[in-house]
Amino acid sequence: MERINKFKLVLWIILGIALAAGITRFIFGLGATTNLSDTTPWGFWIGFDVMGGVALAAGGFVIAAFNYIFGRKEFHSISRAAILTAFLGYVAVVIGLLFDLGLPWNIWHMIIFWNPHSPLFEVGWCVMLYLTVLFLEFMPVVLERFPNLHLLSKIHKVLTKIRIPLVVLGIMLSTLHQSSLGSLFLTMPYRLHPLWWSPILPVIFFVSAICLGLMMVIVENMTSSYLYKREFEENILGKLSRIAVYLLLFYLVLRFGDIIIRGAGIFLFQASWGTYLFWLELALTVFIPLIIFIIPKLRKQPNFLYLGALSGVFGIVLNRLNVGGLTHLTNLTKSGSFYFPSWLELSISAGVVSLAMLAFFYFIENYSVWDEKPKDIDSEPLTVPKFNTNYVYLGPTKTANRVKFSFAFVIAFGLAFALISGKHIYSKGFDKTPVYKARGGDTLLIDGNRNGYGVMFPHKFHGDSIKIACGKCHHLNKPKDKNTQCFECHNDMYLTGDAFRHDWHTSAQGANLNCFECHKHNVNKGEEFRGNMAAITKLCLKCHNDLFPADVKVKILKTYVTLSYTDAMHKLCINCHKERLAADSLLRKSKPGLALCSNCHPKPAQYSAEHKLFTKQNVNKWVVVPPRLK
Amino acid sequence: MKAILTDITKCIGCTQCVSACKVINKLPPDKPREWQKNDGLSARNWTSVLFKDEYYVRKQCRHCIEPACAAACPVGALHKTDFGAVIYDSNKCLGCRYCMMACPYGIPRYDWDSAVPYVRKCIMCYENINNGVIDQPACTKACPTGATIFGEREDLLIEARKRIKNEPDKYLDTIYGEKEAGGTNVLYLTSKDCPLDFLFYYNNRIEKGVKLLGEPAFNQPYPPLTKKAMNSVPFAFVGMGAVMSGLYWIVKRRQKLEKENKGAEDGKNQ
Repeated sequence: MERINKFKLVLWIILGIALAAGITRFIFGLGATTNLSDTTPWGFWIGFDVMGGVALAAGGFVIAAFNYIFGRKEFHSISRAAILTAFLGYVAVVIGLLFDLGLPWNIWHMIIFWNPHSPLFEVGWCVMLYLTVLFLEFMPVVLERFPNLHLLSKIHKVLTKIRIPLVVLGIMLSTLHQSSLGSLFLTMPYRLHPLWWSPILPVIFFVSAICLGLMMVIVENMTSSYLYKREFEENILGKLSRIAVYLLLFYLVLRFGDIIIRGAGIFLFQASWGTYLFWLELALTVFIPLIIFIIPKLRKQPNFLYLGALSGVFGIVLNRLNVGGLTHLTNLTKSGSFYFPSWLELSISAGVVSLAMLAFFYFIENYSVWDEKPKDIDSEPLTVPKFNTNYVYLGPTKTANRVKFSFAFVIAFGLAFALISGKHIYSKGFDKTPVYKARGGDTLLIDGNRNGYGVMFPHKFHGDSIKIACGKCHHLNKPKDKNTQCFECHNDMYLTGDAFRHDWHTSAQGANLNCFECHKHNVNKGEEFRGNMAAITKLCLKCHNDLFPADVKVKILKTYVTLSYTDAMHKLCINCHKERLAADSLLRKSKPGLALCSNCHPKPAQYSAEHKLFTKQNVNKWVVVPPRLK
Repeated sequence: MKAILTDITKCIGCTQCVSACKVINKLPPDKPREWQKNDGLSARNWTSVLFKDEYYVRKQCRHCIEPACAAACPVGALHKTDFGAVIYDSNKCLGCRYCMMACPYGIPRYDWDSAVPYVRKCIMCYENINNGVIDQPACTKACPTGATIFGEREDLLIEARKRIKNEPDKYLDTIYGEKEAGGTNVLYLTSKDCPLDFLFYYNNRIEKGVKLLGEPAFNQPYPPLTKKAMNSVPFAFVGMGAVMSGLYWIVKRRQKLEKENKGAEDGKNQ
């Protein structure tokens, strides 16, 4: 297969994927196919397809100006290809825009509903008019092919006659909308990063578009020459690169002058994502191409010339992406949501570019866009082998290629459609059960255990901070019960505990007891016991008979089990805490949490004296610990 | 012009306003998406109550006196009415979402889940009030504590100043919306503990306190930023045309002269 045909095959595959993505976008809407959100309403389609596309197509008016206005006839040989690139570029912009617009069938509204103060209105009108101008500028190339048809040749004559006015009109319109794309962002001074937002953004856009136009012509010319195995116009491209040097230097001065005069210089040397992007963009746009274009030794090598021009193209497209969304506040700060295009968005953009490229190749092959047509790429090899399986099954080369392209397109379309699964579409914007946002802020008053007690439940804390999946509580599979109850997770709050220190009681330094001294109650020696250990355990009071004041009314029966935390806090002790709080002004001042043990039990240093006092004073307040409620 | 005054110190966060708004505008239940972590606004929630520093802050469209969204819209689908509301005409909209980018408060929301999406935001119950269904917006009517009230903008400003004067310890001495972005028709009174700077992009910028040349002041409306550039469009258009035509004429003439000279020289030589 020829080089160009291999390339076309790849383009057809991309186109197949894009078709699947495009159908999905129109059936399911923007939310299902893109990563756009309310904080980043413009994404890759505006940044690359529209703003990048318009800038990439600037080569048309720049070369037309050189050729027809400035009288530099040496650019004539590349002017047709440049105008074709521009025309297809603008068609691609409009197709890309149709995907991005929410209501693309209303795009014609701009013709009847006017808002002349809107930069977007101006861009829309200019693009419409310029597309027409480019069409008329390119038409002669198509009409040339039919010299015998009277009407067409007449139109051809008229179009050639009005070429100069058309070119001037094209330059006027391009000036307007290339700069107005920058004006779009004048209204968001605090949304854009300060390194990009500037009152002269329209001027910056216009100058960079001219730079990009020149470099794009170099890239386009060298790429197509490589693909069609043809000599490229080294001489002319060298001249273009020398013109580009002056423009790039002007752009550099403009950019830095603007930043320094505005006082945004402090942002040039920061360790932040915005600053890195800025330097990357400037290195690609200005530094790499300048180095290559200034040094004659490098400029004369096709590989370096190509590298320089390509770097410039990437740099200015990155500039458009940066202005269009990458450096917006919503993308740089935590309060926003980070945006990265979904694979469907990327594939549609790639598909639109592929479509434009395929159309470009079609015109190259069938019309005299270049001074001489490329040699027939589908020509049969001169020596036909005796038995050519390729020929038998797929026919002659031209038919064979068509079959291969169609096959690749259909297979790619099918595979991509299979990849866009229901999960991808439905899980993005829809939850299967509607979950309402927690009412009244982040904390809710809920009766989580269905026992009539309300507690303040930090909903946001559970979800955001400790990352409990929603399904853990809201799983809807419990009979007569919507949620998981609190205690299912917080069981430590509801379990009774062990107040008894085993290790101290059994150690030689401690009480130095063996197990049987406590665990022998009702059990004969030597008898093996399996069952509830508590049932055979001696009461603490048997040893610690001074544990309670002598005059306490009711004595605790089972001392080895402590209350669960919730029982202690919610059922019995809280009143005591309250009273203590009311009595002590110092405590009240510091407003301690009622749950703190130290509210009633002072720290060990003050323990002995204060504890005795406390126990004596509060004898009557000792209460019976009931068995755990139900 | 009518306006809404929201007193943050009086709000108890009951979200009655949100419910009332949903009822009167017939908004379906919301299906949450990622960004709702930030604020509750969406295409199906035109107002929401944020919890901020132990205060509840109601968020809604600010109905700017000079709205950036209306200036940005290429087809004029959004426009400011004499009533005070900024309203939306879905028949004109083409879905470019430039209004969402242009809004200095980040208010307009999009119907992302729909295949026929529209821009959605609070319209101050404009149609219902115009048709006489209600005499004030549903949210202010529903508020049980009078935290959010409706009236003439001048009256509300006087009322707000009175409240600040009566309780200077409680209130912050600013009426949010009086001057921001040229003034808005939704005013906020807030407590000293809870400044509302976070509601405005101006205060969310990465580098705080840095004022760069050319950036608008906090009280400057946004539409003039683009209008200035748009007013120079005709001049740029005509100027570029004149320059190009002039250049063409000069180049052509020079070439002609060169040719004549050359011809003359050739004639001499012969």
